[in-house]
Amino acid sequence: MLSILTAIVVLGGLGFFLGRQRAIASAGGDARILHSLPVYYGTNVALLTVVPAVLVLGVWLIVQPMVIAGAAIDLIPEQGVTQAGSRDLVMSDVRRLADGINTGVERGAFTAAEAASLDTATTDIRAVLADVGVALGTDVEPAILAAAQRSRQMSDTASTWMQVIVLGLAVAGLTYAWLRTNKDLRARNTVERAILGLLITASTLAILTTVGIVLSMVWESANFFQLYRWQDFFFGLEWRPSFEGGSELGLIPLLWGTIYISLIALLVAVPIGLFAAIYMAEYASRRVRSVAKPLIEVLAGIPTIVYGLFALITVGPLLRDYFAAPLGLGTSSSSVMTAGIVMGIMLIPFVSSLSDDIINAVPQSLRDGSYGLGATQSETVKQVVLPAALPGIVGAILLAASRAIGETMIVVLGAGAAARLDLNPFEAMTTVTVKIVGQLTGDTDFSSPEALVAFALGLTLFAITLCLNIFALVIVRKYREQYE
Amino acid sequence: MKDLNEMSQTDQESAVDVLKMQARGVDVFYGAGGRTGSAAGMAADLAADKNVTHAIKGVDVDIADKTVTAFIGPSGCGKSTFLRVLNRMNDTIEGCRVTGKVTLEGEDIYDPNVDPVQLRAKVGMVFQKPNPFPKSIFDNVAYGPRIHGLSSNKADLADIVERSLRRAAIWNEVKDRLDAPGTGLSGGQQQRLCIARAVATSPEVLLMDEPCSSLDPIATAQVEELIDDLRSRYSVVIVTHSMQQAARVSQKTAFFHLGNLVEFGDTDKIFTNPSDPRTESYITGRIG
Ligand SMILES: Nc1ncnc2c1ncn2[C@@H]1O[C@H](COP(=O)(O)OP(=O)(O)OP(=O)(O)O)[C@@H](O)[C@H]1O
Ligand SMILES: [Mg+2]
Repeated sequence: MLSILTAIVVLGGLGFFLGRQRAIASAGGDARILHSLPVYYGTNVALLTVVPAVLVLGVWLIVQPMVIAGAAIDLIPEQGVTQAGSRDLVMSDVRRLADGINTGVERGAFTAAEAASLDTATTDIRAVLADVGVALGTDVEPAILAAAQRSRQMSDTASTWMQVIVLGLAVAGLTYAWLRTNKDLRARNTVERAILGLLITASTLAILTTVGIVLSMVWESANFFQLYRWQDFFFGLEWRPSFEGGSELGLIPLLWGTIYISLIALLVAVPIGLFAAIYMAEYASRRVRSVAKPLIEVLAGIPTIVYGLFALITVGPLLRDYFAAPLGLGTSSSSVMTAGIVMGIMLIPFVSSLSDDIINAVPQSLRDGSYGLGATQSETVKQVVLPAALPGIVGAILLAASRAIGETMIVVLGAGAAARLDLNPFEAMTTVTVKIVGQLTGDTDFSSPEALVAFALGLTLFAITLCLNIFALVIVRKYREQYE
Repeated sequence: MKDLNEMSQTDQESAVDVLKMQARGVDVFYGAGGRTGSAAGMAADLAADKNVTHAIKGVDVDIADKTVTAFIGPSGCGKSTFLRVLNRMNDTIEGCRVTGKVTLEGEDIYDPNVDPVQLRAKVGMVFQKPNPFPKSIFDNVAYGPRIHGLSSNKADLADIVERSLRRAAIWNEVKDRLDAPGTGLSGGQQQRLCIARAVATSPEVLLMDEPCSSLDPIATAQVEELIDDLRSRYSVVIVTHSMQQAARVSQKTAFFHLGNLVEFGDTDKIFTNPSDPRTESYITGRIG
């Protein structure tokens, strides 16, 4: 595998030099006659050598195991499959055994010829393999052994063929491209197209991953909604999962907790972050700025679990002892308020550094215009700079909001894990994300609604943050148009 | 009025009775950092520093009331810089230091007791590049009057806005879309909007930095008409690269070269009989 890749790369390197050389030679040594710079000719040959070969290699590596598995499974009687539970389980046994035999050959438990003629009746394969350090789960059945042997054999042949074909392709590509190289070949344009292709592939991959994530969520959520009425999920006011059945899985208390905590977090983060940004961008001298800005941004580097500890150890008890208890609002040290405030602190650098950039992007000429009319600094900020930056700032706030909604650690440690529908901010509550974690940790049976609900929750969360992000993007885009 | 002008033309240095602003020994340095200290010592100190740009060197200028003064000179000679000295807009530039004495009606504008904000309400400015606020056309013009509380009610404000837009020769183009954003206008329209915005605050002195550089001949003529009209009540200082424009609209002309004020005097005299050879070369197109 690795050697074949190395071979391809070496061929590519060779192609590069050969291509460049031939191009220069075709121009009689005068590079100015060439259509493109010599590097482009080299790259062109290298690309034609490497790209088709690697593509075929990739496809081969994906298809080969599928084909082999299909052939091997035929050797196992129907009853064997049902006994093991599923095809996947059987195949994993087969694969493990095949790998084990290969390792055995490598480590000298038996020769290659012996390995090919192994028999369950005469050899205790499990014991022999255990001696060389390969552990098998059960004793080897004849059918499994047969399947494993066939898959070994097939992959041997397949690997040989793969090497021949892939290397042949690389050499063919090299030769073809090298022969085509002459001074009029538009190598630069070809390379340009290859780069375009690379960029398109990258963005396609990004999009496909998103689509894949969404589809898997949708699939599992659909399973959930077959087991649980969607009306009860979306409008249920109670969250009481129990693995003995009869759970109540209402979204509302979790959603309420999420919104409540995020709201408090934003109430903390937006004013402080925004005012800090205004100070940094408009008032602070360069020296203050160069010290204070990194300091604020240090906050962004703190892992959220550390914020969670801060909430648990410091803020929670503090709020309980000095606010909640004297006011008679509760005696819980985990509360919406605790999580909200600490999460707000976490979001301050997020809001402030985004807003700072946006405020700095407001052209100086607008400020000059305002000062030139006799406006003070704060009038200028309030009436010219902020309105001009507003859409961008709203975008920053929405991005902060979607982070708040997705936050888990601070909530677990700050607000607890009890789902509750309450207005009292000093009461423990919890959020969607915490419950997703809660439903999936420990022993879970992925066919029960109690576990599958996590996917429905995740999908809901995803939908909410997606809407927020789209909204933010639309606003930010509008803002860009203003100066262009 | 006419008499005073006549007098100033025959004896420029003694026309002090209508003096509006006066600059004496003004130096401007860019890149001076956070240096402080006594003005006199510092000027010499800064002038010796190689890292500091000495943009204006010992300039004396008198801006007479109800007069148009033109600043001319090659690009980079310090016209805009000196213009910004007159309303302390240089204060907003980091590392820019101004030394010397500038007075407005006898009062030193660089005195620590003077509020630059108050000063800029009296000495308005139109910038070299149009810079309308991203607000509606109406709000752009109403900005100054609102800040300074110049209108007693809505109708009054609307009146000020309309008058200013008319004076800047843009009313007919925008009267049907006062709610449209000012940034959506064409470059020339934006510049006239900025002129309207500056006029709306009724400054006593209006500084205009190349106000016509993005205007077509018709709009230029209208702005020149406006300048002429403003002269009846205010002082106007205009920076221009057009000799014809300077000759047409101004009564006084100052010629700057490499940060020095080479010649300052009546426009007629500068354009017909300059006393400095550099002035003559510039206006005949040989330097610059
Ligand atoms: N913000 C600044 N920082 C540093 N140097 C500056 C700054 N503004 C102007 N200068 C320098 O001061 C000198 C005078 O510039 P100024 O803008 O006053 O020229 P100008 O006469 O208005 O030119 P133009 O006709 O091209 O507008 C130039 O050498 C310029 O490089
Ligand atoms: Mg200028």
